[in-house]
Amino acid sequence: MSSDHSPPADFRVAISYTDVAVVLDISGELDRQSSPELGAVFDTMFDRGHDSVVLDLSGLAFMDGHGLRVINHAARRLTSLGEVLTLRSPSVEVQRILGINGLAASVRLELDNTEQSQLGPEQSSVDRNATVRSSPTTSIKQTDPMLIMPVERQLLDDALGLVVKLAKMAVRAADGVSVSLLRDGQIKTVAASDQTILKMDKGQYATHEGPCLDASIEGRWFHVNSLEKETRWPAFIPMAQALGIHAILSNPLLSKTRPVGALNIYSRSVAAFGPAEQELAAAFAAETSVVLSNAGLGASADVRSQRLHDALRSREIIAQAQGIMMERAGVGEDAAFDHLRRFSQQSARPLRERAEDIVASTRWPELDIEQIEAGPYD
Amino acid sequence: MTERSGAVLDRARIELGLSQGDLWFHYFALGGMSSAIDVEAYLADILEPSTHDHDLIAHALNELFTELGQNHPVPYLADNVTTGSRCQPGQE
Repeated sequence: MSSDHSPPADFRVAISYTDVAVVLDISGELDRQSSPELGAVFDTMFDRGHDSVVLDLSGLAFMDGHGLRVINHAARRLTSLGEVLTLRSPSVEVQRILGINGLAASVRLELDNTEQSQLGPEQSSVDRNATVRSSPTTSIKQTDPMLIMPVERQLLDDALGLVVKLAKMAVRAADGVSVSLLRDGQIKTVAASDQTILKMDKGQYATHEGPCLDASIEGRWFHVNSLEKETRWPAFIPMAQALGIHAILSNPLLSKTRPVGALNIYSRSVAAFGPAEQELAAAFAAETSVVLSNAGLGASADVRSQRLHDALRSREIIAQAQGIMMERAGVGEDAAFDHLRRFSQQSARPLRERAEDIVASTRWPELDIEQIEAGPYD
Repeated sequence: MTERSGAVLDRARIELGLSQGDLWFHYFALGGMSSAIDVEAYLADILEPSTHDHDLIAHALNELFTELGQNHPVPYLADNVTTGSRCQPGQE
């Protein structure tokens, strides 16, 4: 059985049903104009209770960010139902877009047998079941250990250290954060917020199991709401509990589309990570993946890593300045930013520089906001 | 008809010759928390950003305009708010 869904020009959605799934076969250009059409079809399918959905992309000629967003929403909605959206026959270009945006980790890909996969070998099998776990040893061997070049490690490690620091500040209820990365054929922790978190990661390496390892290997995210109720990773869980950890969120880090590590966030509270925390963690992981995707590509990777490094430093200094303003002026976070922004506007100097002034002013506590506005170094 | 806020931001971005990805990076460096996809949706008026997010994007654009000698041509939403707890610089 199949039916056409009121197609706009150059875009069509053909809906068919198999015994186990609804198949949406889209063709033409999925862009700003046509993406709401696909969104409406998804909504209709979900409203009718269909939670097994295949999106056939073989006829897709073009997709932009609007189309990606609709697919992302559908994938998230299915994930919340415990299901996984299947994308059938995406082009190499679409695979690349999915990988860069971190979406490859939350969908199941069905690739043509004749098509060269742009994903790692562990992700390229047709109709791969996302719940199947592969052995760490096998998958590590299959992933290219040269993705991270030694010459760029220091810069990269600095940036990853900042990612850990910022993620811990930004994600509410995060008691510790780490980044684990494939290096020299092994997954290692390259940045951790403290020794307990380092032990958490090492416990997973020692037992060869845990969400950090699985996210690093399988390239999809793992969320442990409560370790008490967790049945996966039986060797690792008692070790984690002994360290006082109760909730874990591990997001995969991808180099292009290959999983090469994980951003791990740990909490001492049960059910610490709600949808907002999950989304924020995914955003940090996606940005880190962009940098990792460019590591190993020569000078441009240096520039890219340096750029991220600068951006993270800028965020850090602005956040510090906001904190100082909040305390001194007794205002909220957004109002503190407005203060900073107006200082920047009035002085025609970058906001980061004004933030640096304010942070520096803490060395001279007698300075007040008016003096800061004038600028301590002016 | 009044131009929608996303369109205003996107027009400024195009005037600067900035890619959406580059604009997101500037926004991120200022402390923005929305993903690149969300920012893209703000610019297309598919999603409505919070006032704070809008003004972060506006400021990212304005800092680049300042480098070109233009004085903050992109309007801030917070500057149009006449009530609330926001503070003026120097106001305690």
